[in-house]
Amino acid sequence: MDPFIHLRAASSYSLRYGVARPDALAAQAAEFGMDALALTDRDGLYGAVKHLIACRKYDVRPIVGVDLGLTGDGGGRVAALAAGGPGWASLCRLVTAAHLSGPRTAHPAVAPELIAEHAAGLAVLLGPGSDVGQAVAARRPDIAAARLAAWREQAGEVVIEIVNHQGRGDAHLAARLLALARRAGVPAVLTNAVRYLDPGDQPVTHVLDAARKLVPLHRRHLEDLTGQAYFKSGKEMVQVAEAVCGPDRDAVAELFRQTRRLAERCVLDPETDVGLWRPHLPDGAGDAMTAHSILTARCADGLARRGYDRDARAGERLGHELGIIERRGLAAYFLVVADVAALIRSYGIRCAIRGSGAGCLVNYLLGIGDLDPLEHGLLMERFLSDSREGLPDIDLDVESARRLEAYRAIFDRYGEGRVACVSMLETYRARSAIRDVGAAVGLPPAEIDAIAKAFPHVRARQLGAALRDLPELRGSGLAHSRLAGLFRIAERLDGLPRHVALHPCGLLLSDPTLRDRTPVERSLLGFPMSQYDKDDVEEMGLLKLDVIGVRMQSAMAHAVAEIARVGEGRLDLEAIPADDEPTYEMIRSSRTLGCFQIESPGQRELVAKMGPRTMGDLVIDISLFRPGPVNSDMVTPFLDSRHGRRAVEYPHPELAGALAESNGVVVFHEQVLRIIDTMTGCGLSTAEWQRRRLADPDTKEDVAAWFRDEARRAGYDAAAVDRVWDVLSAFGAFGFCKAHAAAFARPTYQSAWLKRHHTAAFFAGVLTHDPGMYPKRAILDDARHFGIPILPLDVNRSAATWRVEPPGIRVALAEVKGISEAEVARIVAGRPYVSLGDFWQRARVSRPVAERLALVGAFDALPGVPASASRRDLMCQVGALDRAGGRLATGQLPLGTDDADPAALWYDYEVPAGELPRMTLPEIIETELEVLGMDVSAHVLSCYEDLLAELGAVRARDLPRCPARSRVLVAGVKVATQTPAVRSGQRIIFATVDDATGLVDATFFESVQDRCAATVFGSSLLVIEGTVRRAGGHAVSLNATACWDLPRLRAAWLAGGAGGMRAAMAAPPDGRRTGPRGTPIIYANGYRLSPYADITPAGAAVAKPPSGLTA
Amino acid sequence: MSRVYGDPIDVWTVEGRPVRFVWRGRLYTVRRVLEHWVTTRDWWREQHPEAETATEREFWRVEAAPGDEVGVYELRYDAATGTWMLSRAWD
Repeated sequence: MDPFIHLRAASSYSLRYGVARPDALAAQAAEFGMDALALTDRDGLYGAVKHLIACRKYDVRPIVGVDLGLTGDGGGRVAALAAGGPGWASLCRLVTAAHLSGPRTAHPAVAPELIAEHAAGLAVLLGPGSDVGQAVAARRPDIAAARLAAWREQAGEVVIEIVNHQGRGDAHLAARLLALARRAGVPAVLTNAVRYLDPGDQPVTHVLDAARKLVPLHRRHLEDLTGQAYFKSGKEMVQVAEAVCGPDRDAVAELFRQTRRLAERCVLDPETDVGLWRPHLPDGAGDAMTAHSILTARCADGLARRGYDRDARAGERLGHELGIIERRGLAAYFLVVADVAALIRSYGIRCAIRGSGAGCLVNYLLGIGDLDPLEHGLLMERFLSDSREGLPDIDLDVESARRLEAYRAIFDRYGEGRVACVSMLETYRARSAIRDVGAAVGLPPAEIDAIAKAFPHVRARQLGAALRDLPELRGSGLAHSRLAGLFRIAERLDGLPRHVALHPCGLLLSDPTLRDRTPVERSLLGFPMSQYDKDDVEEMGLLKLDVIGVRMQSAMAHAVAEIARVGEGRLDLEAIPADDEPTYEMIRSSRTLGCFQIESPGQRELVAKMGPRTMGDLVIDISLFRPGPVNSDMVTPFLDSRHGRRAVEYPHPELAGALAESNGVVVFHEQVLRIIDTMTGCGLSTAEWQRRRLADPDTKEDVAAWFRDEARRAGYDAAAVDRVWDVLSAFGAFGFCKAHAAAFARPTYQSAWLKRHHTAAFFAGVLTHDPGMYPKRAILDDARHFGIPILPLDVNRSAATWRVEPPGIRVALAEVKGISEAEVARIVAGRPYVSLGDFWQRARVSRPVAERLALVGAFDALPGVPASASRRDLMCQVGALDRAGGRLATGQLPLGTDDADPAALWYDYEVPAGELPRMTLPEIIETELEVLGMDVSAHVLSCYEDLLAELGAVRARDLPRCPARSRVLVAGVKVATQTPAVRSGQRIIFATVDDATGLVDATFFESVQDRCAATVFGSSLLVIEGTVRRAGGHAVSLNATACWDLPRLRAAWLAGGAGGMRAAMAAPPDGRRTGPRGTPIIYANGYRLSPYADITPAGAAVAKPPSGLTA
Repeated sequence: MSRVYGDPIDVWTVEGRPVRFVWRGRLYTVRRVLEHWVTTRDWWREQHPEAETATEREFWRVEAAPGDEVGVYELRYDAATGTWMLSRAWD
């Protein structure tokens, strides 16, 4: 055993300070034979739970503390270690107080008095960086002694911390600090104030110091210039001590003794002191017995309300579910969640259940969700069973635009002492690592930005590999520049936490002791936020409720509100018929842009092939469109059976009951449970346990042996057992939770129904809340295809959001670039306006915003604007108004509004109407793209009609008539690029372009990516050459062979005519002709995945509008 | 007053500590180590920044004597090249 114990170690959870993962620190302690290890992260307990778990894994006893900055005369930093359960509670409360006592900051500083207030069970370590240490360094022993005395008086247990990192003067300072401790009779302990594992990690701390302090790399800003803050062994620590104590062997031994003594006092028991792995449920309903009887009574009410009170099957199912809930002691949990769901709905916020919880009848009866699990054949066990460890998760989907309103309601109801948001740590990835390293070495911001955006959203450690593998980067020359070394250091930031953020949906609900168990800080929006992430929360046994903001729910709420506003009635989306044939017909035609879950190119292809006719079909469709099923080729046999091309086969006739709904193909987790249960008779709870083990390669073989034994014992013959096992083995791990799919199918159907029956309102909702994957301009074009007139911006008619003006929709004010919410509110409040001058006086928007409004025609319809005024005139007029001087104060009546002639104001200004030429259509479109991000007046491509004719480009609407495998050219605005996971292990680029007649999906295989990748990712207007591929049903797509940037071809055409353009098309692109490389990820079932699959590709977001029309 | 030198020297060490060194043809015996500190290089200022290894320089300030006249000498060890240098002297 190593005699030394590290009492000070910062992990990577000391944000932008530490380097080592808690797991690596614990592993190193175990390797050295150290029997305990402290984690003392800076500013918080973000890594504490991970430390406890790592210590258990490596059989090291855990100690936890925190390292906090000090306010006051001395400044500096101190560490506090928790001793026992009271110490742990003090530590949590101290960290919370440090964060909540001042303004929000990642690196709070506390007054010594605040530490004193929470001193019960804490030991305070005063090292060279403390106010005491700084006084010693400044050769003020008098001040040092006074400060030490003050600490002892206030903080109870105080020790002096000896550190020697072998910097110049370090050893002498440590010796003087040790002398001070002796004089004062305070114990001294030895630490190495660890920041990283190995000496070689030191340069990473340099980058972190620079990034944290927002300064360039320079010795004066760096906190570690010696490379000694690594995880030293006990033997090395003896040398460190000797350098401080000199030849005095007893002094060295005493330092070690005191270090161990303090460590022994502070070792925590994770279960009894911290409460790890013990459930902490809310206390609202009293004791468990009371809670359970309340739950039982409310479920009985629910049976009557849902019409199941005379249904024996429902009664039996309820009894079964309540039995599990009672055995697990979770009644209070269900009552609280039901309370929360009702609370959210009481604010008129749309709220739907998602995930496996939809399979639980209790949730349906309590009104947490509106999906009937009996109707869809959903099982409780997938959500909660006797065999499932940990607390179940119920997820609620709410309107994204009102999620925070729901949060506030919950905080108001339960109080900040019992509720906290869950946090998450954003970690370094390729782009953020490049940005921080680039800034640290002083690269110009523009250059940093360009380099960062050249990379797809890969992990930082893949930087070097991406430079070698991806054709769009190989051509860039970045790998061979003097930046190559920077990429190598950027790689080493991989995965380090960078900053803490609000988890998008998690809420903790507990009792008033919550803050004894979790440190809380304030999120950017002011919500109390636990420093634990979602994994920590689970380990801590805290009840987490996910309240997920779903944009589609907001979009549908907006659509419903618009329907009511224009007098088309009050619509209850939960009550619409589920068998509306026109809705399914629209889905089958794959005109599903904007619909929930079924709008992506792949889904549009799948719905076209599958042809859904019922809600059940939609549930299957959503389940099939997952990487697993797609890669294991479950889709083809399913479609063949569905369309009668293949007889429906069951692995065993007795499984027909479980598999009939999906034509004999295993699609759902629930089916896996039923198969296992049918063949072994083990019950659904055990079946669920085995299903989870089936998905894990480590336990899969055990499941195989168990399944074969049990099925044979149940009397199935060997051949049948093999057949069924093959099916389970191949598809069991990939199935999808049917309850989750069914919960998703509802909003899918609701959105499609709205699109079919209230098309204008649907588009108003989708354009306002932007729920999907496509840029708004693609949605807008889809609206045009559905015959919805797009009405231009008009200051007298446009609202903050998109509005229905039957039969059209009106552009929203919020779309104007740079407009503030306050400006939008003032414009709306001041309507109507009679003239531009009137608007300028009363709406009081900034000049750039007013100019943009003028340029996109928002003033064209003002009564006071003469028809002869061009938009350019109006923009000049705004300038004239601005130059003319101050506006009237609020409340003062503007001159001229009471004038009989509303046009009078116009003539007050110096710019005569009609002075400047009208804008051409290309200019109008270019301006709309610039100001609104979308082409409102006409499609962008209408400016290229002549060029498309010259090219002989095929339009999307005509593509289905082209013969398969014929070679065609298409052109359009890029609306999506994806690099999804596909079966072959290639990285395949799917690009979708919109050419005003519809969408074209093009596939770029690896063989053409060297030529095409840079253009596909970098250009927004594309010309694509490819061969026509028929995918079945209505689906047609292109296998791309080449692509070009449309504006560049136009420039070549204008300069050199048709010949010049052809030459530009024939010119070889840069780089060698090879595809992307990289070792595929190979899964246990043999399917291969490109390391660059499913990663947001290089370039700026596709939502950026195209430009270059009039250049 | 200290004087600054930059002379390469030969050094004998025991467990990493200097015990004897030869400077300008004379043998010095180390009597006492006064201070020892280390520093790492400024990797970010290099033309091709390679932050792979934290190469160190070690400084030893020692009391040493070529006979009876004790002086204070600062020895510098460069780990990258494995060479020693006498950087300063107070003698």
